[in-house]
Amino acid sequence: MNHTRALWYVASRIAATALGGAIIGWLLGNVWIGVAGAVSLVLGWHLFNLYWLDHWLQDRSNIDPPDTSGLWDDVVSRVVRLHRRKRYHKQRLLEVFRELRRSTAAMPDGVVVLNANWEIVWFNRKAGQLLGLKRRIDQGIRMSNLLRGPSFARYLAEERFDEPLLLEHGSDPAVFLLFQVVPYGVGQRLMLVRDVSRQMALETMRKDFVANASHELRSPLTVVTGYLETLLQDDDLDPGLRAPLNEMHRQAQRMNGIVNDLLDLSRLDAATQEASGEDIDVPALCAVLRKDVQARASHPELKVELRTDAHLLGDYAEVLSAFSNLVDNAVKYTPASGSVRVVWEADADGGARFTVEDTGRGIPPEHLPRLTERFYRVDSGRARDAGGTGLGLAIVKHVLQHHGAALQVHSEPGKGSRFTCVFPPRRVRPARGGDTIGAASRFG
Amino acid sequence: METADLSHHISRRFNEDLEQVRGKVLAMGGLVEVLLAKSISALVDGDSSLGKSVSVDDLAVNAMEVAIDEECSRILATRAPAAGDLRLIVAIIKTITDLERIGDEGEKIGNIASRLAVMERPENKYREIKHMGRLVSEMVHDALDAFARMDSQAALQVARRDKMVDEEYESIQRQSITFMMEDPRGIRRALDVMWIVRALERVGDHAKNICEYVIYMVHGKDVRHTRLEDIEQTLGEAKDPRN
Repeated sequence: MNHTRALWYVASRIAATALGGAIIGWLLGNVWIGVAGAVSLVLGWHLFNLYWLDHWLQDRSNIDPPDTSGLWDDVVSRVVRLHRRKRYHKQRLLEVFRELRRSTAAMPDGVVVLNANWEIVWFNRKAGQLLGLKRRIDQGIRMSNLLRGPSFARYLAEERFDEPLLLEHGSDPAVFLLFQVVPYGVGQRLMLVRDVSRQMALETMRKDFVANASHELRSPLTVVTGYLETLLQDDDLDPGLRAPLNEMHRQAQRMNGIVNDLLDLSRLDAATQEASGEDIDVPALCAVLRKDVQARASHPELKVELRTDAHLLGDYAEVLSAFSNLVDNAVKYTPASGSVRVVWEADADGGARFTVEDTGRGIPPEHLPRLTERFYRVDSGRARDAGGTGLGLAIVKHVLQHHGAALQVHSEPGKGSRFTCVFPPRRVRPARGGDTIGAASRFG
Repeated sequence: METADLSHHISRRFNEDLEQVRGKVLAMGGLVEVLLAKSISALVDGDSSLGKSVSVDDLAVNAMEVAIDEECSRILATRAPAAGDLRLIVAIIKTITDLERIGDEGEKIGNIASRLAVMERPENKYREIKHMGRLVSEMVHDALDAFARMDSQAALQVARRDKMVDEEYESIQRQSITFMMEDPRGIRRALDVMWIVRALERVGDHAKNICEYVIYMVHGKDVRHTRLEDIEQTLGEAKDPRN
């Protein structure tokens, strides 16, 4: 349809030109010269316009569009309009883009965009400042080539990006950076970097305060306990004073326990490296725990099941205190008619687990998440009656963290509780003769 | 810069091999940086267990050196690299040797530090060693950055800082001699301090060597045993690093 219209247009124009030329030629004497003259004039005019249009399109910004008429005028004005509209859209897009960049650049946190090969695509000013990146030069360089710390490499290799990574700044030990990688798009990653030095400084201050305060409390307490002990040994003591003095002595002992636990905790807090790898004979350790329980005046029945001979690799004093805290708790909250079961068994992945199970009164589920907080009480009366410090499970949690292990708690009110320490394979030295299921009889 | 140049090979495997071995060298560098920082803070904080733990890290560094060396031999044998790639491999082989030596010096510092930790500490708490240690650590860090970025200008600047380390070494040495003359009972400790300072000075030299390999890698000019001014001149002539 359009084709025929165009053909008609061309045909009519050519016919009109030829006819006009023929008439002028006929008037002047030669029809064909007239036709030829008219056609070449029209052709010349078109060529001239075409040349101007081309010239203008080449260098649009400096010259005004060519002034013409007819079809050429339409063409030129359409081109101008098209061009304007394009420029407008481009400008708007650019504006939006710049706005986005400006906002990310102004972010108080560092942002680095990485591609699938961990190469730097883009980063904002704050990231450059925090990580010492150089604009232009560092584009296309692998992030791990510039952030070379082994822990960062491990973080990238393990791809556990739901947790952030805390790193000490290389040259300035007072600066701490928190990294978080967020995958997006196809293999793209966004890395956020935050300066957390202030929070870390506050945290250190808090830890130092607790450690110092506990330490300062210790010496006056020793003096008080010392005098109380001397007084209690005095045979001429007024019998009416004996009961209050005994109570004072008991409370002083308890306070001593709390201070010691606090000091232990702050020591665990301060440890930056994982625990050392001494060989710990867990079966022998269980025998020690059993002896401690049997030394009590009244205690529930204690069963020790050793399903493996594996040894633990860790800090003996820490592991002993964690395990004895767990056994202690179980014994404390289980009536003498109940029973406590201690199980040491191997895991399929090469790890091992230490479980303490009791038939005590159990813990309501809403308390489970907060159980390992310091001084957290399930109900305010009972732990104090039992003589606990409120720090036992916090110590257990810290010791396990220190060994790369995890604590699992399972409990049903009225039926009992189960505390399990799960140790990773690197903390376990496997038994020589494979799993010895029958070993339980040795202590059973 | 030149980094983009690594992507011009027809064989993608080759590119990956080169990138990977480069990444490994820098990972080894990261390990060495941590080791050095640990050994210095073991001395400054008087932490003997930290000082001993450095030897474990040194084992890892040594293992990496062997692995990277093997990798380089494999690339040389199977790919027969030329020009820039060959220089990269040669530079890597030399760099890992220096990194391994830095690891050894760090281990030495750690050992002495754990011995010094049980002794009485001087009044200034080894402030001057801390300062020198920071200078040297930054040199190692920046030399590895220059290696990662193939930045010969930065490498030159790091190499220039070796002079500061040497001056620091001289000054601590003089100070130690004064201490020894004043109080002969402290000679044992002063001697140990001298060993540590000596080790730090050597680390600075190794960092400088790495910078020279970077210049070699980028410009193809061997600038070892050359005065810094002469290196600058050579670099000025070879403005365009391509060849």
